[in-house]
Amino acid sequence: MKNLLLLAAFLITPLAHAGGGVEVPQEKWSFQGLQGKWDKDEIYRGYTVATQVCLACHSFKYINHRSLMRVGFTEAEVQTLAKALNMDINAKLISALDEASAKETYGKIPPDLSMMNKARAGGADYSHAVLVGYSEDPELIKHYLPEGVPQGAHFNKYFPGHAIAMPNPLSGPDMVTYHDGTSATVDQMSRDVSTFMQWTAEPERFERQHLGVYVLIYLFIFTILAFLTKRAIWKDIKKH
Amino acid sequence: MGHHHKAVEQDIRNTYRWFDDRLPLLSFLKEHLADYQAPRNLNYMWNFGSLAGIALILQILTGLFLAMHYKPDVNMAYDSVQHIMRNVEWGWLIRNLHMVGASFFFIVVYIHIGRGLYYGSYKSPREVLWGLGLVIFLLMMATAFMGYVLPWGQMSYWGATVITNLLSVIPFFGPDIVVWLWGGYSVGDPTLTRFYAIHFVLPFVIVGVVILHVWALHLHGSNNPKGIDLTKQSDYIPFHPYYTTKDVFGLGVYLIPFTFMVFFLPEYLGHPDNYIPANPLVTPAHIVPEWYFLPFYAILRAIPIKELGVLAMFGSILIMFVLPWLDRSKVRSARFRPIYKQMFWLFVANFFVLGWCGAMPAEGIYVTISQVATTFYFAFFALLPLIAKYEKPHPIPATI
Ligand code: HEC
Ligand code: HEM
Repeated sequence: MKNLLLLAAFLITPLAHAGGGVEVPQEKWSFQGLQGKWDKDEIYRGYTVATQVCLACHSFKYINHRSLMRVGFTEAEVQTLAKALNMDINAKLISALDEASAKETYGKIPPDLSMMNKARAGGADYSHAVLVGYSEDPELIKHYLPEGVPQGAHFNKYFPGHAIAMPNPLSGPDMVTYHDGTSATVDQMSRDVSTFMQWTAEPERFERQHLGVYVLIYLFIFTILAFLTKRAIWKDIKKH
Repeated sequence: MGHHHKAVEQDIRNTYRWFDDRLPLLSFLKEHLADYQAPRNLNYMWNFGSLAGIALILQILTGLFLAMHYKPDVNMAYDSVQHIMRNVEWGWLIRNLHMVGASFFFIVVYIHIGRGLYYGSYKSPREVLWGLGLVIFLLMMATAFMGYVLPWGQMSYWGATVITNLLSVIPFFGPDIVVWLWGGYSVGDPTLTRFYAIHFVLPFVIVGVVILHVWALHLHGSNNPKGIDLTKQSDYIPFHPYYTTKDVFGLGVYLIPFTFMVFFLPEYLGHPDNYIPANPLVTPAHIVPEWYFLPFYAILRAIPIKELGVLAMFGSILIMFVLPWLDRSKVRSARFRPIYKQMFWLFVANFFVLGWCGAMPAEGIYVTISQVATTFYFAFFALLPLIAKYEKPHPIPATI
């Protein structure tokens, strides 16, 4: 019967969620590992890209400025940031682009980004891959899209189908100026905004993990004590 | 002081007797949860029944707290789940417990059923106990299916559409039944609201059937790893303190991987598409149910004729109801049944193959493998009468 347990363990190995796209490269992220935390500067940089670039088309409807206080911003800092965007700190981050004109201009409605990293296999790896996956190289485009890029779409190596309605949002460096002087390369902006999107998708991540460590330690001790109790009680019972 | 203590004890005893004389609830619980005589040789496979009971209670408790914040309306359902995850105090913990809890409940019950198959617990005099277990299993599947619709993501919507559509194969009334079930001409707001109502109530029905299940169990007592009838009083030990302490230890072992998933990998068993809000205009590339339905989903898709596929899928569970009459061998435990034991392990392996097929697209080689595996699934049951007839069991011990 031990085999049954082994088989059960085998069954919960990940089931392939194969998409139509190319294998997404695995990146290193500051939020990985069991004892990470949201880095305030990184979130700030991601917020800068998100609000200066992405918010033109996409909303983050589960986030408002007050949510930033959960990663260490003070109320005063949050007030200043919100004021710069003419927003109330309790207002959701909703794009000024309405759905009808989005549909008319891009043929697609840009999806809300707050849950994006949970809604795609690959999470932040995928978001980053799409953001840096644009190319003008005719050879590369021909390889993936022999028929050519459809009207109104843009070539993207990692988007399933390789023709995305979103024009390259990070088309060159220095589209934003960072508060901490970090140089705003395309790769840097993409990583920062992908980390930001990870935070918007699971702001509770580290509360969860920190508590989890204590719960597991508690359960290990509980289980050992339970085992010793069981053994003491069963001492005189012959099982066969 | 000592004298006073004795008097208080006597008062409590008298009150207990007085109450028990009027409603013997406490002595009933004592009889079934403490004094129940269990075989002394039960192995750890016998832990999974009580684990299933705890898993059920956990689902009911976490579900109750989710219900206080969830909104069964197509325009609010997805948002209300995000509200729980972000704004409700401990909301993320309650939701993760409920989500991972459902998966772990199925793991426990699958092992529990496997235990029954291996040790022949379904045989006389436990056929009704076995049948009640299958009723619980069917109710669990219905509950889990409707629960998965509630967050109103893409898989919620499309899973509900695919599975409810299966009922349209019912001759003559099928299409009308589906419209009646949906409360409209497609899965929509009325469907969501009624699924929520049913999802809320079914677990309490399960509690009722579990009580019958344990009642049937206690009438003839537990089977045991040797599968033999016990005759001596010394073969038994009282449930408390022996199996209570063993079950508490088992619970600890169970809770470690369970809480690990809850705190570190809560989305691992889910599908990313279900974080895309439901959209009736966009069909996902692959519609896959939750992992615990995959073997049955594979049986459904193995057969190209839809009517037969649906029949095979429901038949694959219903056939287990007649298992006690298909397997005529007098020997219960697979330990003493060389051929049955091999068939059992093949059946388990085949079940995993089916699960894997269910996760793959229904095309090419996967269909062929599903068809072979489906055939073996039913062949296992069809061969049981023959095995019982020709198998030479090992010598059966007279006692444990
Ligand atoms: C000019 C408008 C516009 C801007 C600015 C923009 N996007 Fe998009 N985005 C879109 C549109 C339109 C789509 C839908 C693409 C499709 O489905 O083909 C989209 C889709 C996406 C997707 C989903 C891809 C998928 O797998 O479906 C992601 C992720 C994304 N955008 C991220 C971003 C980020 C991050 C930024 C800011 C750096 C950004 N976008 C800026 C218009 C925009
Ligand atoms: C909600 C789900 C279930 C709960 C709470 C539950 C509970 C229990 C409990 C407490 C026991 C006694 C302890 C044990 O023998 O492990 C038991 C025994 C048993 N259960 Fe279940 N059960 C569930 C589902 C099922 C299912 C789905 C089946 C099979 C189809 C099943 C078949 C049996 C059998 C045959 C026994 C007797 C085992 C023996 O004594 O050998 N149960 N159940």
